[in-house]
Amino acid sequence: MTKLSPKLSKDKSINIAIIAMGGQGGGGLSKWILDTAQTQGYLAQYTSVPGVAQRTGATIYYIELFPAHLADKQKQKPVLALTPIPGDVDIVIASEMMESGRALMRGFVSAQTTLIASDHRDYSIVEKQEMGDGRRELSKVREMSEKIAAQYICFDMGKAAREAGAVISSVLFGALAGSGALPIARDVFEKTITESGRAVPANLRGFALGYENVQGETKAEIPAKAQDKKPPSASVTLLLDHMKKDFPPRAHAMITAGLKKMVDYQDPDYARLYLERLSEFTSLDSAKKDWRLTRDMARYLALAMSYEDTIRVADLKIRAARFERFRAEVKAAEGQIVNVSEYMHPRLQEVCDILPAWLGKVVLKMRFLNVFFNKGRRITTTRLRGYLLLSLIARRKPARRKSLRYAVETVRITTWSEQVKTAAAHNYDLACELAGLQRLVKGYGDTHERGLKNAAKIMAVIPSFEAQKNAAKQLSTLKIAALKDEDGAALVEALRSVS
Amino acid sequence: MAERSFHKEVQDLKIGAGEEFRGEGILAVTKALLQSGISYVGGYQGAPISHLMDVLADAEEILSDLGIHFEASASEASAAAMLAASVNYPLRGAVTWKSTVGTNVASDALASVASSGVMGGCLIVIGEDYGEGSSIMQERSHAFAMKSQIWLLDPRPNLTSIVDMVEKGFELSEASNTPVMLELRIRACHVHGQFTAKDNKRPDFTLRQAMENPVRDYDRVVLPPSNFKHEIEKVEQRWPAAVKFIKDNKLNEFLGGHKGHQGIIVQGGLYNTLMRALKIVGLADIYGNTDVPVYCLNVTYPMIDDEVAGFCVDKKSVLIVEEGQPEYLEQNINTILRRRDIGTKIYGKNVLPMAGEYTGQVIADGLRKFFKKPAAKTPASLSAADQSVLVETVPARPVGFCTGCPERPIFTAMKLVQRKLGDIHVSCDIGCHLFSILPPFNIGNTTMGYGLGWSGASAFNTKSDKRTISSMGDGGFWHNGLTSGVGNAVFNKNDNVLVIVDNGYSAATGGQDILSSRAFNKTKTTNNPISRAIAGLGIKWQRSVNTYDLGAMTKTLTEALTTPEKGPKVILAQSECMLNRERREKPIRNKMIKGGKRIVRSRFGVDPDTCTGDHACIRLSGCPSLSIIDNPDPLREDPVAHVNNDGVGCGVCGEVTHAAVLCPSFYRADLIYNPNVWDKFRAGFRGKVIGFLQARADKKRARHSFGEV
Repeated sequence: MTKLSPKLSKDKSINIAIIAMGGQGGGGLSKWILDTAQTQGYLAQYTSVPGVAQRTGATIYYIELFPAHLADKQKQKPVLALTPIPGDVDIVIASEMMESGRALMRGFVSAQTTLIASDHRDYSIVEKQEMGDGRRELSKVREMSEKIAAQYICFDMGKAAREAGAVISSVLFGALAGSGALPIARDVFEKTITESGRAVPANLRGFALGYENVQGETKAEIPAKAQDKKPPSASVTLLLDHMKKDFPPRAHAMITAGLKKMVDYQDPDYARLYLERLSEFTSLDSAKKDWRLTRDMARYLALAMSYEDTIRVADLKIRAARFERFRAEVKAAEGQIVNVSEYMHPRLQEVCDILPAWLGKVVLKMRFLNVFFNKGRRITTTRLRGYLLLSLIARRKPARRKSLRYAVETVRITTWSEQVKTAAAHNYDLACELAGLQRLVKGYGDTHERGLKNAAKIMAVIPSFEAQKNAAKQLSTLKIAALKDEDGAALVEALRSVS
Repeated sequence: MAERSFHKEVQDLKIGAGEEFRGEGILAVTKALLQSGISYVGGYQGAPISHLMDVLADAEEILSDLGIHFEASASEASAAAMLAASVNYPLRGAVTWKSTVGTNVASDALASVASSGVMGGCLIVIGEDYGEGSSIMQERSHAFAMKSQIWLLDPRPNLTSIVDMVEKGFELSEASNTPVMLELRIRACHVHGQFTAKDNKRPDFTLRQAMENPVRDYDRVVLPPSNFKHEIEKVEQRWPAAVKFIKDNKLNEFLGGHKGHQGIIVQGGLYNTLMRALKIVGLADIYGNTDVPVYCLNVTYPMIDDEVAGFCVDKKSVLIVEEGQPEYLEQNINTILRRRDIGTKIYGKNVLPMAGEYTGQVIADGLRKFFKKPAAKTPASLSAADQSVLVETVPARPVGFCTGCPERPIFTAMKLVQRKLGDIHVSCDIGCHLFSILPPFNIGNTTMGYGLGWSGASAFNTKSDKRTISSMGDGGFWHNGLTSGVGNAVFNKNDNVLVIVDNGYSAATGGQDILSSRAFNKTKTTNNPISRAIAGLGIKWQRSVNTYDLGAMTKTLTEALTTPEKGPKVILAQSECMLNRERREKPIRNKMIKGGKRIVRSRFGVDPDTCTGDHACIRLSGCPSLSIIDNPDPLREDPVAHVNNDGVGCGVCGEVTHAAVLCPSFYRADLIYNPNVWDKFRAGFRGKVIGFLQARADKKRARHSFGEV
């Protein structure tokens, strides 16, 4: 075996890997680091893989820095590597939480590593496209990073960047400066930003937020002055009292949310109907079960009773609060004129839905009317015509409980409630799962119909396994499958396996 | 106009002898070409040498000042054929492309020029797209060097070595009358470093001189009997001449120590990674000092038998660090030693993996086996259990279309059409549109190569109740799809559908101009519409559709797939690449806003209270600016859709909800900058009336307030 020669030098380079997605300024950040280091007497080498990988994918930028005075002393140039090697990376900068997870997986983070990571999420398409909640739980990434890295700096740099009006790379650069992983003073980093000449004030703001956050200099948020509590109005007080009287405290939070929805959706009278319907479940429930059925039904009954009809949509679109929200969302300047138009696609079905039940049924049969509903419409809510049209629809609210859709929904809710009740008598967990079937029913048009159909398909097979011990588990599996893909392939597969 | 501008950087190409050049690998290559006195240069873009083409295009003025002709070749085949200029004349020329795919395309002409032999030095700079970041089949360019007898240079990845090998490459080419390939790996193309420059050199012999004094030599033409002579010349004259030049000029390097009975032979391009790996296993320092003898092959083809034998003869074992397969070097070295009866044991693919990129980790593991060192303690230390937890929880991040990409709605339309007509066989091409294969579209069955989208489906030209769809970009169309796809379909009476993505650029390679680009280009002829080209070829059924008009796109696709009309059908899906458009228009827009001009800017958004969190919009669009956020409604569990404000305002998200009848949550907000009097008057009036109505409604709602807690 060849032995290590004592002549070999112990000098080493500072190795930095940056993992960023296209558009996050990873290239710019690398350039800043390079420029900063070169002014401080470092030899620097930098590589990346631009191109297709940057079209929304993630890219690794890799930098090696080497003190020039060491090379001068040795009269030799260092041989610098072009890719990061596990166990040989001193600083890892990840622009997003999942990317820092990938850095861990690839072994870039070791006991010698300063890991600087933003804990905000840029969801991957595989997370976004799911019909339910496809977001991955990444707390493990944080735990492992804390365990492995020599220094772990992690905060929401996406938020800091938004606050500064800068790209996230400036915050990362600030965090790097603040970490002390490079023996370079703050003003040298800042000078690089200034000299780059691009979006200097914004980038300096982002830098400062990053630096100060690491150094613990962020000013504690001054708690807002406790405002005078406004008491609920008389009609609502009645509802709340009713709730407090008839329902266990454990379920109050969820029921209050439900009541709020009912009042907002229709009126206090409707909220009373909600409480009435819900009360039928408390007798089947108990503190021993943590009132799960009551809480679940409080949630799903409220959602079922606040089905999205045209009246609801119009009502939400014309509110003052909504006008404020869209102005903020599109970052309109104070006083700037903003015209908003809605992408609506009402079909004959949706129009009939809000007509009185008898009329709705008749009109719905007039198929020829469909020609008026075969294309989408844009309604400009900020114009009088659009606004008045929508408010006219919203004003049908008092007549809602006589509408065609209301009749249909009432039958559905009754049938579903009965099934939950029946199930509760012999299998509590199954009843809870059955309550949650409402989660499948959402959206509008085809999406809504698909949800209904899936729920109906599942309902139909329940008798085939409800007597079994693991019935609740089986139902849960079916629900997950129903939210897996649009074509229903997973559900078909799952249905086959139970029946 | 390419995605990245090098106008500032190319000024550095003018620096003279003794000055320090700082910059990217590809810029260094360009500088080296100028220092070598070339007369012409050409190529075809593609990672990792796209930027080399962009640098050359941006440096066109500097090039023409030196009397150099730059050709943005139509394909790698055109580029390779350009080397014919050096067959009869002492003209130095260089071409470049992405390998191995580009070399595949070029190989017809390459074989010819290698057979003819060259008088002027010929350098082929190939960007080796292998390993991480690669988007193509994993193969070696080495095979092309061997089959056509072209010398293959693989310099150490530092700018000084790369520049030196470019210059020496021309000399080698001339000394052996053989074209030379210079292989640059992805990261070497983009490595930033420095080297000491020389003066640029004007060519001694000009293209004009050649054109005005033509030389004809039948011996140099690939026809009998010259072709037979060429083969003999290759082995009897050109090969020995090359070997002599390589030895005399010490192109390969004997580095490292002289002690011990174990040595390493390494491809030059892997030298830095090898040295780092040796350092990690404790056998080298950061300066590359090591006791282990290292024979570094800056020339990987041909092998210099004497050097190999000399290196091996006094060693018990030698490790070959050779990336990719088959292991040509290892085979060659074994043959050399066997012929000379040298018993040195050769290690290579038995301790290093046969396939895959040789990263530092991989080489370090191989070194430990070769030097019989204990396996690595993993300092990095993620336990196997932790690793598997991460594998499960950290999702993949597949690439996709950019924000606002005009190609997205084409595939949204296909998805909608498939809902009605059932699944369709889709033959893909090369280009950004290939992302249709990935989530959320999942459309596409095969991809056969650049411009080969339609011919990839040419077998399906038979009676059937369903037609096939092929896709092709405008880049691929001009590269060869015009003949191999469209011409082929017309001639063979194809009855299927081709969608040409006509976005005005070779977008995937970095937005280079092409024949049908709508933009004006000072040095190239653009504005040659594809519609006229295919009409000329005999396409009778063709429709042009604006891709952002999702309704029209869906209708046209349906029509093409269902019309009783026989014959090939071509849909030109038109809209400019958004990246390029934004780059051009954003500064103008900002200037206009600053200058007080009335500008209306569209943004898009989702109302979180009407969104129910089904994400159908995301499945039909996949736009990066369409994401998800927590549902503000405490009753709802699923996150709602959200439009990030980094959108370019293309409106596809809204169009999708319209065409697919999704939901009423999307809105378009038109922001008016510098409003005129009429704008202000209308807004004021509307604001008053609407404000009044809203206040009244709020008051009514307040009657049933839950108070503030």
